[in-house]
Amino acid sequence: MPETAAVSIRKLSKSFDGTEVLRDVSLEVQTGEVVSILGSSGSGKSTLLRCINWLERPDHGDIRIDGDRIGVSDSGKPMSRRELAGMRARLGMVFQGFNLWPHLSVLRNVTEAPIHVQGVSKAEAEERAMALLEKVGMVDKRNDYPYTLSGGQKQRVAIARALAMQPKVMLFDEPTSALDPELVGEVLGVIKDLSKEGYTMVLVTHEMEFARAVSDQVVFLDKGIIIEKSHPSEFFVNPKTERVRRFLELEVPVA
Amino acid sequence: MDSSAWGLLVQGAWTTLWISGISIAIGVVMGLLIALLRVAKIPVLHQLLGVYISLARATPLVTLVLFIFLTAPTMGVNLNRNVAGIIALTLNTTAFNAEIWRSAFNNFSKEQREAALAIGMTPWVYFRRIMLPQITITSLPGLVNEMSFLIKGSPAIAVIGVVDLTRVTNRISAVTYDPLPPILAAAALYMLIISLLVWLQRVAERKASRLAV
Repeated sequence: MPETAAVSIRKLSKSFDGTEVLRDVSLEVQTGEVVSILGSSGSGKSTLLRCINWLERPDHGDIRIDGDRIGVSDSGKPMSRRELAGMRARLGMVFQGFNLWPHLSVLRNVTEAPIHVQGVSKAEAEERAMALLEKVGMVDKRNDYPYTLSGGQKQRVAIARALAMQPKVMLFDEPTSALDPELVGEVLGVIKDLSKEGYTMVLVTHEMEFARAVSDQVVFLDKGIIIEKSHPSEFFVNPKTERVRRFLELEVPVA
Repeated sequence: MDSSAWGLLVQGAWTTLWISGISIAIGVVMGLLIALLRVAKIPVLHQLLGVYISLARATPLVTLVLFIFLTAPTMGVNLNRNVAGIIALTLNTTAFNAEIWRSAFNNFSKEQREAALAIGMTPWVYFRRIMLPQITITSLPGLVNEMSFLIKGSPAIAVIGVVDLTRVTNRISAVTYDPLPPILAAAALYMLIISLLVWLQRVAERKASRLAV
């Protein structure tokens, strides 16, 4: 029997105001795998990621996390808010704009959901948070408020916040696109460490070199359709389609 | 002014304070609930609340006080003056507060909401833990403003015979034939009450600066 995929997307379609953004997208992410979603802007890659945790509701198709369908309950009816929240808690999401909660200190940003969603004790949540802040190099800033942090620091806290829920899968939505160039490295470094530790991750990014280094699978979206899906060694060296070849010529500087 | 005049003044100030205080407390919470209901856009209820807010904001306080006090008996409810005053003030301030809360809801960051939902919070946990603490602080300047307007508008309840801080000055001057001193004393007491509120507002604004991302 085949292993249950960490994320399984089947025949996903989504339109915004009559414009088709995703068409018949299918994708499987195995546990421990790192999958990068590439494509030019407007190709639907962020929408695909946001459908996985139901921040966008797909029009057709289904998405399963560890075999359990998200958004739609067993009876076929839309999930209740509580059920949906429970499914979302299995997924960690990191946003382009960090989206930290400004009224909470760094430590409280990380402990908030474990305490108030999972019902973990304050002491345990703090222990968990400190270990994660250590991992992302933000322990010294634990009592500071988000407005005092740089973009790179905010994003590292946001990663720790998502990890604190011990999610099955981490979703990254262009995590370095809003950062000054000199801050990109510190965030990519953290994500790279996570990939070495075996985290399952789905990554929407414009950092080609990075995608090449960390991914087990690269997916290329063009106008809402997956036109290529392969191992990075194949994808970056021998792209199958003309579209990807052109994309790579523009995005990856010739070494 | 003798000590009995001062005693009356303090009594009047106390009446103004407690009647306004109760109206403000109910008005802030009711305003929040109405704003929540309006943001939920429940059909019919949404329109009804909209009509209430427009009416309450457009009606002078004196008119509202008289209306409540005079119509209640015709519907078989016997209202004491103080209760009628509180109802009128509450109806008025709730409408303004609902608008203050609603604009805070509408301006609240969509990104923070997404972060909360994505991490597994239900909308209720998100509201209580993420949104409410922040909009309370950002709405406070507006709310305090409205509180001071209410206190300054509260002499309207004198028309139905409540002896508040303004009305009491009439009573004093009816005996002393010297209206200016009690009015000046009353003005000083109003200023004292309002300055306490303004001080509170300043503390809140200092806290709010932290939220400016």
